[in-house]
Amino acid sequence: MIVEGTFTFQGPRETVWELLQNPDVLVKVLPGAKRLVRAGEDRFDGVMQVGVGPVTAAEFTVSVMLKDKVPPQYYAMEVDSKGTLGFTRGSARVALEVLADGGTLMKYTAELQVGGKIAGVGQRLLDQVAKLMTRQGLEALNKELRARLAGGSSR
Amino acid sequence: MRRNEDARLLTGRALFVDDVQVEGMLHVAFLRSQHAHACLRTVDVAAARRRPGVVAVYTAADLGDYWRPGPLLVPPPPIAGLVFNACTQLPLARDKVRHVGEPIAMVVAESRYLAEDALDDVMVDAEPLAAVVDVEAALAPGAPLVHDHLPSNVAAHVVQRKGDYGRARAGAHATIRRRFRYDRGASAAIENRAVAAQWDPRAEELTVWDTTQAPIPIRNGLASLLGLLESQVRVIAPFVGGGFGPKIMMFYPEELLVPWAALRLGRPVKWTEDRQENFYATTQERGQVHDAELAIARDGKILGVRDVFLHDTGAYDPYGLTVPINSQCTLLGPYDVPTYESEFTAVFTNKTIVTPVRGAGRQHGVFVMERLLDFAAAELGIDRAEIRRRNLLRPEQFPHNHEIIFQDSAPLVYDSGDYAPALDEALRIIGYERFVRDEQPRLRAAGRHVGIGVVCYVEGTGIGPYEGARVTVEPSGRVRVATGVGTQGQGHFTAFAQIVAEVLGVDVERVHVITGDTREFHWGTGTFASRGAVVAGSACHAAALAVRERILDVASRHLEAAKQDLELADGHVRVRGAPDSAVSLGELALKANPLRGAVRPGTEPGLEATAYFGPARGSTANGVHAAIVEVDPETALVEVRRYVVVHDSGRVINPLLVDGQIQGGVAHGIGNAFYEQLVYDENGQLLNASFMDYLLPTATDVPPVETAHRETPSPLNPLGVKGVGEAGAIPTGAAFAQAVEDALSDYGVEITEIPLSPNRLFELITQAGRGGAGGRPKR
Repeated sequence: MIVEGTFTFQGPRETVWELLQNPDVLVKVLPGAKRLVRAGEDRFDGVMQVGVGPVTAAEFTVSVMLKDKVPPQYYAMEVDSKGTLGFTRGSARVALEVLADGGTLMKYTAELQVGGKIAGVGQRLLDQVAKLMTRQGLEALNKELRARLAGGSSR
Repeated sequence: MRRNEDARLLTGRALFVDDVQVEGMLHVAFLRSQHAHACLRTVDVAAARRRPGVVAVYTAADLGDYWRPGPLLVPPPPIAGLVFNACTQLPLARDKVRHVGEPIAMVVAESRYLAEDALDDVMVDAEPLAAVVDVEAALAPGAPLVHDHLPSNVAAHVVQRKGDYGRARAGAHATIRRRFRYDRGASAAIENRAVAAQWDPRAEELTVWDTTQAPIPIRNGLASLLGLLESQVRVIAPFVGGGFGPKIMMFYPEELLVPWAALRLGRPVKWTEDRQENFYATTQERGQVHDAELAIARDGKILGVRDVFLHDTGAYDPYGLTVPINSQCTLLGPYDVPTYESEFTAVFTNKTIVTPVRGAGRQHGVFVMERLLDFAAAELGIDRAEIRRRNLLRPEQFPHNHEIIFQDSAPLVYDSGDYAPALDEALRIIGYERFVRDEQPRLRAAGRHVGIGVVCYVEGTGIGPYEGARVTVEPSGRVRVATGVGTQGQGHFTAFAQIVAEVLGVDVERVHVITGDTREFHWGTGTFASRGAVVAGSACHAAALAVRERILDVASRHLEAAKQDLELADGHVRVRGAPDSAVSLGELALKANPLRGAVRPGTEPGLEATAYFGPARGSTANGVHAAIVEVDPETALVEVRRYVVVHDSGRVINPLLVDGQIQGGVAHGIGNAFYEQLVYDENGQLLNASFMDYLLPTATDVPPVETAHRETPSPLNPLGVKGVGEAGAIPTGAAFAQAVEDALSDYGVEITEIPLSPNRLFELITQAGRGGAGGRPKR
């Protein structure tokens, strides 16, 4: 499965970068994230609860390794998540560009291998769910970004 | 005639394995691999064992000596130069998993809910490996290996030859060459697999209820593996909701482990497969790629065929070469093919194991041959039906030896047949000439895309080795028949009863048939290869004849009449012409089993006999399928408007049952042709493992099949019967493809693959149209 797209943040690139590296922020904005902790210099471990269509939501343990970091413009990730309903493995690349209006353009592309029940039963919806979750996460992150810039933290 | 079993089935009184409920029963869930190919590093079940309600959790390490690869069910036939690498399935994966769904651990708990919950507690550390999915990529140098001890993914390599194809080709007017693909489907029986087992310590007897098509071999295997006497193991295959082949496979890990756990824990244990498990863990079929060539004369006579194909055997190959050899042999069909060269390579892949599914490889052979004939007919300008007629074997050519070896290790010899009249009858029923001459042009002029398909096929049926039956007349006058084959909806309780009733002169309803219970009958092999009526039916017939002799012996003494003057009718024996002399079979049964007094030396008690039947080789059924379809080129939906099957399975015991088999088989075949396909991604993940995404044809997709029976008796059994269980499903893909292609002839669509789907057909229409005006008709 390939998930790719672009998203415009209404804030400067440095702040976006900072938020993307902060597990306490990410756990709030990522749909279904229940826990996310820094487990090393470039590694996050966590638990997410995800369901796809007819597959009832269940917990996945997630580990993310950050690679090839070029702050504040680029990083790659190795993602490995598994649970009783299946697994997801793969890599993602994220690039941040400064926009003329002071905003930040994110370009992302992820290549994920999905297996187990979630692939067997949820396949038809998987693409849509992945896109939707990505969108929701990025929008929540943008909201958090604007709240920060406005001088507070969003709920 | 009513079916003897229907009252029980329709009123919910038939026993299925999941109905078995025993006090104290434990329930099982299996932890299955999520990866198609991975190294198993650790399987930690400690937390699962601690969960309340969990009684035991087993991994490969817990099985001790009981852990061993399954038996090779069908050793390869004696073909010169044959290569076969046996890699049979494992009870629980130990070092490596080789397909999604392969069992890794077994949880036994007080309920299925608890067992399923405990699966979440098992921690599996697996290192994913690149998966082998495509059969061609599997053979490329450097491809990952499914079985590390083998040098490649080759499971088998077989070449069979008849005559000199090269020479035939050199003298041919034309050669037709294509690549054909057939993909996988599920058998999709309405009842999934299930196993329940109970150890009775006082009787020292293990009872196993199993949805198997082979209860006796299961009993024998379990006794041997568990160190019990065969008489201490009773296997019951009660009513089974559809077999279709995958339930003849043995031993599935579950049917090996559930009885073992019941013995070990001293408590009854049950596992019932859920539908999702079925998509991963029950065997599948039909992935093959053929490169085939037909050498043909100007007049349409077949000079020879050369076929090279790859067969996807999945992660293991316990069923030997049955499927690809069936493909190889069935390709020859009902035709006179003077030269043949066929080579196949069976390939291991990281997918569910392949074993026979209704048709068992025959589909592929028929598809390749029928499609080649269609392309040849078009090239030579000969009518499709006519090119077939010119090549059919003639009655004087039987028995016909094709000079290659069949799946039963015997030469492929057709016992009997009368093929041309079957073709003519199918053409007549569907109105071929009128359709092609009047109806099709008229409808086409009106902008409708209608097409007709006519294909011929043979079906090797009724192979050995043997089956047996015991027939007993009870003092009530009712007759009891026990046979070893299991039953999965074929109507054995009626067909076998009819055979016995006819010999003994009793009503069919008075004959009580017992199948699939090793306590009742414990010699035999199972239900497969369309052999129930042929082999077990003939054994019932032989046992009934022996009982008839005993009845006549006893009656002759009792009535003081010569045996040849006696007749059996209405449950009585009477002296011909003396109706008052009648004595009931029940009375004679009592007389044959006296409580006191002396009998003559050598007398056996009762009116009972056991007999066996083993055919020298399989009998060959044949038939013709003809279909009229209408295609909507905008949506690529296909409507099957008429479907005609003319079938010759020798003598018909019960037309209702034969029609039922054909109707069901055609439904299966239409599913294979247009709806059902198991889609795997490049990592070996099955992408449509539910009936939401895996489409079965429904009642609206399958037309009522118009059947006609022809009866060319088989000389190989006393009943003259041939099998019919797979006939409906075998040529359906070929008939469908030809009819759809005909319907779309103005687009120039060529169909060389099955299954199609509306989506795939749409692609083909678009591609074909590309040469013209973007999906518009060419003319």
